[in-house]
Amino acid sequence: MPEYAPESFLRIGRMFQVAIVKIVGLTKRYGQNLAVDHLNLEAQEKEILGILGPNGAGKSSTLLMLSTIIKPTEGTAEVGGYDIRANPYKVREMIGIAFQEPKLFWFNTPWQILNWHGKVCGIRNPRQATERMLKELNLWEARNKYAHELSGGMKKRVEVGKIMIQRPKVAIVDEPTAQIDVAGKYQIWDMIRSLRDEGSTILLATNELGEADRLSDRVAIVYRGRLRVLDTPRNLKDSIPGGDVIDVRTENPIRDETLHQVKQISGVVELSLVKPSHLRIYLNRAEKMLPRIMSCLNDLAVDIASINMKEPTLDDVFFHYTGEVLEEADEPDSATP
Amino acid sequence: MKKIHLVIERDLRSMMQQKSILVMRWFFAIVQIGIFGLAISRIVTVMQNYYTYYAMGVIVMTMYSVAIFTGYEIYDENDDGYTEYLLSIPLTRKELVIGRSLAGGIRSLLFMAPIIAGFMYLIGIADPLRVGMALVALFGFTFGVSGLSITLAVGLRSGDKFDIIMGALDAFIVRLSSALYPQTFMPKPIAILSQFNPLTYASDLFRWSLNFNTQYLANPTTAVIVLVLFLTTFNVCGVLIYERSLEGGTWR
Repeated sequence: MPEYAPESFLRIGRMFQVAIVKIVGLTKRYGQNLAVDHLNLEAQEKEILGILGPNGAGKSSTLLMLSTIIKPTEGTAEVGGYDIRANPYKVREMIGIAFQEPKLFWFNTPWQILNWHGKVCGIRNPRQATERMLKELNLWEARNKYAHELSGGMKKRVEVGKIMIQRPKVAIVDEPTAQIDVAGKYQIWDMIRSLRDEGSTILLATNELGEADRLSDRVAIVYRGRLRVLDTPRNLKDSIPGGDVIDVRTENPIRDETLHQVKQISGVVELSLVKPSHLRIYLNRAEKMLPRIMSCLNDLAVDIASINMKEPTLDDVFFHYTGEVLEEADEPDSATP
Repeated sequence: MKKIHLVIERDLRSMMQQKSILVMRWFFAIVQIGIFGLAISRIVTVMQNYYTYYAMGVIVMTMYSVAIFTGYEIYDENDDGYTEYLLSIPLTRKELVIGRSLAGGIRSLLFMAPIIAGFMYLIGIADPLRVGMALVALFGFTFGVSGLSITLAVGLRSGDKFDIIMGALDAFIVRLSSALYPQTFMPKPIAILSQFNPLTYASDLFRWSLNFNTQYLANPTTAVIVLVLFLTTFNVCGVLIYERSLEGGTWR
């Protein structure tokens, strides 16, 4: 959907959309370890649904169950009306997955990998599609190298190339831009958007907040195997109390007295101690409140290492709903492509 | 089963790209037939034409060792995480297992084709029917062996266990068979055990097809039945294990 569409318009539009992926009470247990815990989630047709969560949140297990690679312990899911337990083959015909770790057998070349994948997925003119995709992904020169001779970024691009050549009804991309340079990230994001614009539904698993924010029509925050919240990135950010955020980092651990005094300042809506020396303040009109907060901290002789005023990000959303910080790694600059 | 040819294509390509292993096995077969076979056949005087008998056994043995290679590939694929990819693509588990078993049989035949052709030329076999029967016997056996190796590779979740079992199987399956010596010359307990060994029937059916003296060979009808049972059993087992074990995610 276009980025400029008003939120209310998008909401009404979604009411008439069809859920192509329905996850109902999906549970996966590995021995004593509960990886996915009665997860309920729906993805609409032609949307990019970001699934955001830290490593071990249950994202990959959920996607592996949706792809019929592993079986659920409990619950089920439907992809395009086909149950993953009852009709796994039909589900596999509709779904394509780009794995977090590229799955390339060492003796295959990018050309062989994509050409064979295209043939197995029944696309027309696999040779032509392979050539086009290798050129788009800047892999044409490396088309005859063995997989084990490729760099990490090249392997990742081949992996993403599989779903791009397949153009599945439901595409699962698990951390698609990990190990990829900034220019490559923007290119892959554009390709994912084009896939959505052509009619595919994208399930994007990531722990990169910027990626989830830029790409997703809606974001599902998954934590400890459960869905915590699901909405558009804008609505999620708006759900943060106050509307603005000030991050204060100090040289020493923040004392309870400091927390108490800051909380008393009129206009401060909520406080969170992200780390012993990292205070997050949710408030209204941060630009006007900042001098009063600084003054209060000075009065309490707090050694401030840094202070940062910002609009809420998905990091704040994640923290708000889970009480933990999702560390953002390898984030490209904030310019929108 | 409409995409089975794609599975076969992939596995055939993989064989072509692992030339060093194949060349080593070729050397083994040539040295065994060309040097060891010649020497040992001079010692063996109780049996007429032992050299031909021995060479035929070495061909079947080598084909066994090429067919078993599919199991090792499955282990490599597990290590590389490639199994997950194969399970995610629109292929049925039957297509995957049967395709790989068929590929195991085809590539064993392709691999040994020059040696088989040269051998048939040397012993003067040109009858297409006999040649065809011999190739079918070899293919049926290696198809079953590939199914066996898939079943073991998927069923045994530890790479060490797989190596040990395959090593033991490799040692016993040859010694407890009529691949290198006829059942009539075996001590009775070994002769009894060899009757439960598919390599016995594959070797003897191959020899029978190439018109070798039948007095040293197992009954061809029995051999056909055993080989059909062997390839069916292990391919069905492979499919079941793939569906129940791999798809359940227990290999992870």
